[in-house]
Amino acid sequence: MSSRIITWLRAALLACVVGLAGAPAWAAGSAEAAVAATAADGGLIQPGNNAEAFRSARRGEHQSITFAAPADRMLIQSEGQTWRMWRNGPITQWGGWLLAAVFVALVLFRLIRGRIDLEGAPTGRLIERFNRVERTAHWTLAVTFVVLALSGLTLLFGKHVIIPLIGYDAFSWFARLAKNLHNLTGPLFFASTVVFVLMFARDNVWQAIDALWIRKAGGLLTGEHVPSWRFNFGEKTWFWIGVVILGLLVGATGLILDFPGNGQTRQDMQLAHLIHAGGAILFIALSLGHIYIGTVGMEGAMDGMKSGYVDETWAREHHEYWYRQAKDATPARPAAPPRAAASATR
Amino acid sequence: MARMKFLCDAERCIECNGCVTACKNEHEVPWGIQRRRVVTINDGVVGKEKSLSVACMHCTDAPCMAVCPVDVFYRTEDGVVLHDKDACIGCGYCFYACPFGAPQFPQEGAFGQRGKMDKCTFCAGGPEADGSDAELEKYGRNRLAEGKLPLCAEMCSTKALLAGDAQTVSDIFRERVVRRGGAGAEAIGWNTAYGSGEQKREQTRGGDK
Ligand code: SF4
Ligand code: SF4
Repeated sequence: MSSRIITWLRAALLACVVGLAGAPAWAAGSAEAAVAATAADGGLIQPGNNAEAFRSARRGEHQSITFAAPADRMLIQSEGQTWRMWRNGPITQWGGWLLAAVFVALVLFRLIRGRIDLEGAPTGRLIERFNRVERTAHWTLAVTFVVLALSGLTLLFGKHVIIPLIGYDAFSWFARLAKNLHNLTGPLFFASTVVFVLMFARDNVWQAIDALWIRKAGGLLTGEHVPSWRFNFGEKTWFWIGVVILGLLVGATGLILDFPGNGQTRQDMQLAHLIHAGGAILFIALSLGHIYIGTVGMEGAMDGMKSGYVDETWAREHHEYWYRQAKDATPARPAAPPRAAASATR
Repeated sequence: MARMKFLCDAERCIECNGCVTACKNEHEVPWGIQRRRVVTINDGVVGKEKSLSVACMHCTDAPCMAVCPVDVFYRTEDGVVLHDKDACIGCGYCFYACPFGAPQFPQEGAFGQRGKMDKCTFCAGGPEADGSDAELEKYGRNRLAEGKLPLCAEMCSTKALLAGDAQTVSDIFRERVVRRGGAGAEAIGWNTAYGSGEQKREQTRGGDK
């Protein structure tokens, strides 16, 4: 009985061995022909000269790796060095100087030109400029933007600026916080950018009066008040170039970087990073101008985003066309609950 | 002082993965991470198959060191590029920059959660005290401190993988190339790792410029 089982097992084993030996031999035959064909045009004609074979291996061709390897399967990648040159070169250096230059320019502007004050006395009659939903969208975007900008700048410049001040250990703790805040806030920023763009696109389209603003450079230097509708050309520039183009670009590349392991190669990450960091620097540079005007640069500009209401005088001086349209549509603040007035603004 | 380098002789490597196994065992490298791996070109093509063992090359102008935002990399007196795991924030930049795909991470999760970077230490441990438990736990064995060379190269059955002082290693390789009539003269990766021209400038902690 037992000997019959053993014979049977032996036969089964033999069949397995023959089968296993035969299958790869058959498979290897076609694979070999395929590889040999490519190897022939890939060099390997001079005996002992493997240079071309290794070049093709650098491109990820004709190779097998027994253990985990980067998704691009390149033996040696040169793109990393290119990425490093761009990141540590233009982006860190020019980017750093650009931000410094914009900051200094704003300080000088403030010192020379001073705050843009109201010319007439405030009348006390308030006009609704941004409703609650619009303000929520703006401040969500603003808060996520500031968190992302500060943490992003920490990761780019911290090594040069903060390590000399607080040392390696403290900075490592700080950088870890920055990285995690950055990665967690990023998707929220992207989502709120999309909402914000949809919400404000309509009032940011080109209007004929914008040409006047361009011709007079917004009256920024002369102090002259240039009329505009709800948003002037300066605000529209910030909206389209800043929020729409740079915001969406930086947000989208950020998502690629934030969710690795979805098939991105190292090269995808490098490219996404360069666009992300370069775009972000420009975005931050523009935002400095926006933040300046909104806070210390102009009297009354913050009110619209803070309470939702601006003084009649402010509206007339800075957005005359919009004012004429809005003053009749919006009753004075105490007279109407803000929610009822919201739709009337449009 | 010695300048430690790796060199893999593609004419000799037989893809036995002994180096990979030796490394994993010696350092108790976590699951999913290979500090060293063997790449085979033209696999299965008789006479044209070449294999190469790759790990961190401890580059001269090390790109990883240049891009790390928290400066975790530092160079030992022997020219070995080591890293301080405690400081690593897991941003993955070293992995993007490295020509050899050496830095690896225990995870690759959403929101860029990678854990701490791990890579070959040339069997030289980390910033903790030489031979301490903490060092063993985070970086593996510190063989250099014991006067030994990296285990991968020591274990290599064909002596394809050489590790040691640059001068000695390249002398051995040059002699081999002469003896086999000039075949396989490329020290693959050497130019990328140890540079030509500007790349010869040694990168140290503190980064680019
Ligand atoms: S760039 Fe890569 S191979 Fe070179 S020292 Fe850094 S980790 Fe090692
Ligand atoms: S993953 Fe760690 S070691 Fe690599 S660059 Fe980022 S902080 Fe530095």
